[in-house]
Amino acid sequence: MGDIKTTRRSAIKLLGASAAGFLAAPAILRSRSAFAQSNVLNITTYDKFIPADFLEKFQADTGITVNIRLTDDQGKQYNLLTAEGANPSTDIVTVVGHRFSQFIGSNLLAPLDTARIASWNSLIPAYQQADWLTTDGKTWGLPILAGFECLARNTDYVEDTGSWDVMFADANKSATSYIVSDFLSITMRYLGDDGDYVTYVDKPDVAQAATNKARDFLIQHKDKVRKYYDAGSEIQQMFINEDVYVAQGWSGPISKLIMDGHPIAISVPKEGTYGFVYTLNVVNNAPNADNAYKFIEAVAASPEVGAAMTRQSGFTSTFAGVEAILDEKERAASTLPADQVERITFFSSVNRDMKNEMVDRATAEIKAA
Amino acid sequence: MAAARPLDGPKAALSAAYWVFVLYLLGPLLLMTAMSFKAAEFIAFPIGETTLDWYAKVVHDGQFLSAVGYSILIAAATTLFATVIGTWIALVVSAESLWLRSLVFALACLPAVVPGMIQAISVRIFIATLDVPTGTGAIIFGHTLHAVPFVMIMALTRLRTMPGSLVDAARDLGADPVVAFLRVTLPYLKPALYGGMIFCALLSIDDFVRTFFLGGYRTTLPMLIFARLQGGMSPEINAMATLVLLTTAVVGLYAEQLTRKARTR
Amino acid sequence: MTSLPADTTHRAETGAKAPASAPRYAPGYGRLMRSPFYRATLGLLAENRAARLAVFIGVPLLWIAIAHVGPIVQLVRISLLQTYPITDGSSPSYTFANYWAFLSEPLYSLPLMRSVVFAFCVTLVTLIVVYPVAYYVAKIVRPQNRTRALLLLLIPFWAGEVIRTFSVIMLLANRGALNVLLREIGLIDRPIPMLYNYFSLSFGVIYLVCLYMLLPLYSALEKIPNHLLDAAADLGAGPFTRLRRIILPLSKDGIVSGCSLVFLTTIGVFATPILLGGPSTGLFPETIAAFFHGASDKWPVGAAMAVVMLAASLGLAALFMRLVGGKRSARFL
Repeated sequence: MGDIKTTRRSAIKLLGASAAGFLAAPAILRSRSAFAQSNVLNITTYDKFIPADFLEKFQADTGITVNIRLTDDQGKQYNLLTAEGANPSTDIVTVVGHRFSQFIGSNLLAPLDTARIASWNSLIPAYQQADWLTTDGKTWGLPILAGFECLARNTDYVEDTGSWDVMFADANKSATSYIVSDFLSITMRYLGDDGDYVTYVDKPDVAQAATNKARDFLIQHKDKVRKYYDAGSEIQQMFINEDVYVAQGWSGPISKLIMDGHPIAISVPKEGTYGFVYTLNVVNNAPNADNAYKFIEAVAASPEVGAAMTRQSGFTSTFAGVEAILDEKERAASTLPADQVERITFFSSVNRDMKNEMVDRATAEIKAA
Repeated sequence: MAAARPLDGPKAALSAAYWVFVLYLLGPLLLMTAMSFKAAEFIAFPIGETTLDWYAKVVHDGQFLSAVGYSILIAAATTLFATVIGTWIALVVSAESLWLRSLVFALACLPAVVPGMIQAISVRIFIATLDVPTGTGAIIFGHTLHAVPFVMIMALTRLRTMPGSLVDAARDLGADPVVAFLRVTLPYLKPALYGGMIFCALLSIDDFVRTFFLGGYRTTLPMLIFARLQGGMSPEINAMATLVLLTTAVVGLYAEQLTRKARTR
Repeated sequence: MTSLPADTTHRAETGAKAPASAPRYAPGYGRLMRSPFYRATLGLLAENRAARLAVFIGVPLLWIAIAHVGPIVQLVRISLLQTYPITDGSSPSYTFANYWAFLSEPLYSLPLMRSVVFAFCVTLVTLIVVYPVAYYVAKIVRPQNRTRALLLLLIPFWAGEVIRTFSVIMLLANRGALNVLLREIGLIDRPIPMLYNYFSLSFGVIYLVCLYMLLPLYSALEKIPNHLLDAAADLGAGPFTRLRRIILPLSKDGIVSGCSLVFLTTIGVFATPILLGGPSTGLFPETIAAFFHGASDKWPVGAAMAVVMLAASLGLAALFMRLVGGKRSARFL
């Protein structure tokens, strides 16, 4: 570095330019960006949730310019909306069903007027009236993709036992992985308790006892864990690298592994598991709410869009007629035998505050143990 | 200037240390580059079938190209502002007579210590209370304030050993304070400032969380990579990184070649 | 470059030559110096000590007040709130309970301790590993090749944190490059688990932060005059004497600032430890992030933890500068 040569002259120029820029900074900062314009729609969503072809067609058909901001988890979306307060920079967000109460509680979402959405009936009926989708008699979003907490195993090394037992087996020492908060719920269910806290309304003592039981069980079996993870890409890579042989995972990322031909199998053990649904939601005080409705309507209008979403994300589509469009491999990776489907309970939106409080606390304790 | 010959004996050992370190830095990245040719959705050993498709895809990916451009724009602006401000703060802190020195120094260091996400959130709330909108300006502001302490510490290290007599001599020769600064202090600081500028550019180009909270709907490279990672670590992301690395290497070598020529002329 | 008489203790390669060659650039500066606006401004500044101080100190202080302190004040405010976001219409209520949560719970203070110890170890190891490298580039590589030697070390850093972390995973995984290699040459039958423990964590973090050690060290070592070393050698000082008596003391500034930068960066690093750490290596930023990212929103507690961490790491860095840097560094503190 000592050898790179600048003349004093260029140093002066540099300094002058920066000084000018520095003085102009307030002006640059103040130039109001265009979040609220008549023909714009701002969406915050995951990469590959909205198919590119569909997006292009929508923009061409309606003349609306769509801006997409990509996120990679729910927490960031929530934090961003919270920090923005009453003047959101986004119109549509992608919230997972059981996080509704948190977003609604903080006044971040507007209820969805389903009467304005002509294609609402293309949803599989079970999703149209799902109880987690409605709070206070209002509907809060358009379900687009459904996933579940699955048991994933490397078929070369681990036999199918049909039970979550395999996560605690001595044979799998240092060979398992899970998302602590999610797996805590599953463990509670495995131990015979209510992992979703729906029946614990006004019974904090019972809830705490059940939580502690599962917590202690997980701490007792901590030697089986290779790593606690957070993101889908992590568990994918751990399976590929054979750092873990069996894990709790979200169906989407695991299905993608199967679609790519890795020796991974996905199942719902007999003790059951939980499911969750991604939904598109209109933001409270959205600057372009009308365009948001047009977009939501268009998403629901064609099963092709749903199929593209499934192909890209690995999650199951919530729209009728999508399965027929997928090819055999895609269908196999993203759908389950009927008896296993019945073991899935969708996360509720009841009693979230108690659940979140206790689960977050236990998660910290398990990690610290 | 002849090469020094201190520590003659251990010279070979030092040379070995350098090359082992180079291997440590480059080895893993060579793996990444190798993975970018893999013909599969995910990266894994063995590489097996190879393809150039990922590169073709990346080169034609408008989102990637515009993200790179936007990242460079932000990094350049950040480097400019942070270098000026950081150097200025260093000068103030190094002024002997100022009793507030230690406080200013500690406050100037603050942004280097706050974990990224917390800084991002607090800056986001802060600019909201000032009614400043998010967007390019806000990103540059966030990146600049993160980079300033790095420049300042680099500049201070060098300023501390600067003989005061240099500036005095310049003043005796009739230079006013500004000219004395530009002619004496700034050139003396040069190596440290280059280091500081590299930090600025790196911190800015690699920043995800501040950009996410302060940005609008234009994607920077780290944001794009984080979002793509959601679908799995595919060779496509490796191809992107390889292209970025190759470009920096070529630009770096070219600049080095230019300065070398300028010096020999 | 103009070379200086050998008896100048501080070679100061570019700085010292400036006064001697002043006339060369005079025209440009002269015009600037003669311009009435410049003269008037400068005149005012020269006469008025308050105005001089105001400009010199005012601008950076304004920046620090707005950019550095402003957001932190927000953070502190949130850390004292009972709930955040504040629901419409209700007035905020303040409390110290969030700080109490940190003090009363080893659950939260333990990761902070772990972070501090970890950052300390990483700093030490980085110093030991990088010092010879910096010395080699600054003093042994011939000057015309130095930039190239540095470039080679710099380029890997442009790949970005995520990519570099994943590349470490691909190196150390059970089916990663190292294990595959060891198995190929028949040294092992079963892969050695190298990932998700303190080893991989340190490996990855040092991989990320070593540049913050390299550049300050290089900048400090590069300015040690060669003739000092030559003279010492001529007087019969062996390599270790020279290292102890000349090189280390003269590069102390670089060591102090390199260590501070690495320490401060390491203590706040977030993504890499999450990707490379094991089940029992949780560091403090992860703990803090859980309060912001978790489903139950507890920004105030998270903010309080962040404030604690700020105070702790700044305090430790200051202590370190005083201890290691001695009197000269203490000038700033």
